Amino acid sequence: MRRLLALLMACASVLLAQTAVRASDCLVCHGAMQGKISLAKGETIEVHVDSAGFTNSVHGKNDCTTCHLTFSPGAHLSPKDKKVPAELASLVPFTSLKAKGDPVALAACVNCHQTEYKEFQASVHGRNIFVKKESDAPLCLDCHGDPHYILAASDKNSKVNHANLLETCGRCHENEELDKKYGMSPYVIEKDKESFHGKKYILGDKRVPICNDCHGSHGITRVDASASPVTGLNKIKTCGRCHAGAGAKFAAAPAHKYIGAGNPIPFYGEKLLIVLVFGVFIFTISHVVLESWSEIRDNVLRKDKKKGHGDE
Amino acid sequence: MNKDTEVSEGMEVSSRRASVDMEVPEEIERFNVTFRIQHVIMLVTFLLLAFTGWALKYPELDQSKWWVRIWGGPETAGRIHRVAGVTMLLDFVWHVIYLFYRFATGKSQILNPVTTLIPLPRDVVDVVKNYLYFFGLSKTKPKFGKFSYIHKFDYWAVFWGMFIIGISGFILAFPVFSSQFFPAFTLNWIWPLLFVLHSDEALLAIVFILFWHFFNEHLKWGKFPMSWTWLTGRISAEELRHEHPLEYERLFGKGDAE
Repeated sequence: MRRLLALLMACASVLLAQTAVRASDCLVCHGAMQGKISLAKGETIEVHVDSAGFTNSVHGKNDCTTCHLTFSPGAHLSPKDKKVPAELASLVPFTSLKAKGDPVALAACVNCHQTEYKEFQASVHGRNIFVKKESDAPLCLDCHGDPHYILAASDKNSKVNHANLLETCGRCHENEELDKKYGMSPYVIEKDKESFHGKKYILGDKRVPICNDCHGSHGITRVDASASPVTGLNKIKTCGRCHAGAGAKFAAAPAHKYIGAGNPIPFYGEKLLIVLVFGVFIFTISHVVLESWSEIRDNVLRKDKKKGHGDE
Repeated sequence: MNKDTEVSEGMEVSSRRASVDMEVPEEIERFNVTFRIQHVIMLVTFLLLAFTGWALKYPELDQSKWWVRIWGGPETAGRIHRVAGVTMLLDFVWHVIYLFYRFATGKSQILNPVTTLIPLPRDVVDVVKNYLYFFGLSKTKPKFGKFSYIHKFDYWAVFWGMFIIGISGFILAFPVFSSQFFPAFTLNWIWPLLFVLHSDEALLAIVFILFWHFFNEHLKWGKFPMSWTWLTGRISAEELRHEHPLEYERLFGKGDAE
């Protein structure tokens, strides 16, 4: 009870002191608050912000209002009154497809990450948001994670770290509904895991390429777009970044394509190999087991009668 | 002619069948030192390849991740795998050249049905006879020459492996270099085919060695822990008489084998 009182007093003192807002000021309350609140739109948002998590994130040195632009001390009362620059405001109708609580904050990424934001808007992911207004298309946070705890891509806990990217991309690309809706191959993730790159990746090889290394990231395109780094002559260049001297015949190798009956040699070849492998297994194993039995029979069960060895 | 080899080889001593009982030595040489060295290189590189490649078969298993760490992580394991693979291929090339040399100089009697390694129709008959014996439907085992169908199967499996796993492995290890030799019509299917070939045939090779070779050379009655021929190159006349009666007869006449 006493702690709650102290908390309330701390909050009050922050709200009353109408000076510049520091992240620590907000975190006095939001660091301690637990649970979710519902908005008028019927959505719920998390009110808790983990202080340590935020401070350790790449944005830890920012103030809350760097992104939450419409908020100011005491601004919980009327956050919408504060004007934001027109360029940013124009993004809000689109970011509101994704951001539940504060779409302005999601649009605010553009303030610092202009290049990435522009590149992203032109990408296949970006056009689904900014042209088609699809709420299930990805925007910044879908890949980079919770905005308060974004880590550098080099951090192994980052969702866009090399080691985690396949899982991050897979959340949409392995989703049957999304695959169907957007005409994406439902096999890419599975087939990548079965590929040589993918197998080495799963074993923890840090040199093998993963999704973004070949396909690009913010500016990603459809594979059949002429700008795609994995189509036509671009693919040769992309392969050549690791495989020095790669030519068209090298780049012909499918990275993670589904091989169906349309490509009969590897498709039926694999089935034939399975028959061969099991055929040999059956012959060798039966031979070994039966011969073992005959040796036990000859040497243990009928020890007195010396049998076999073709010398009788 | 190299007299040393001639005598120690044993089988060349009397390609003419002895009509009278010869003096039977205690042991004869079955594999000369070159073959033994080739075999040791083959066995060491095979084990290295199997161990370093194994984790790639089912990489998502925790055991695979643990296993590949023993081999220095995926990158080091990959390097060991490539070095061992190239070494094995060179060993194989050496073996083939050496075989041609022995054939050309008459040191190996490849065309003699008793000493040959070439599979013959009689090998199929021997398989059937042996199964009958296993089931107790026949009282005697088939009589084998210098190399029974069990040895021949073991031996040619390596050739098969060299062509399928060795060639696909070489291409996969040096893909940029190898790809320039691909004819255009293969481009659509050759890569996925190579991956499947290398992976499935490697599994087959490992299981085959584990069952066939290990049972026949290590676990068979009286052989445990192993047949020492791979080190000494020698086989006792007694064992030869039991396991390779036709070869014994060819060398020493029917004699007491009757």
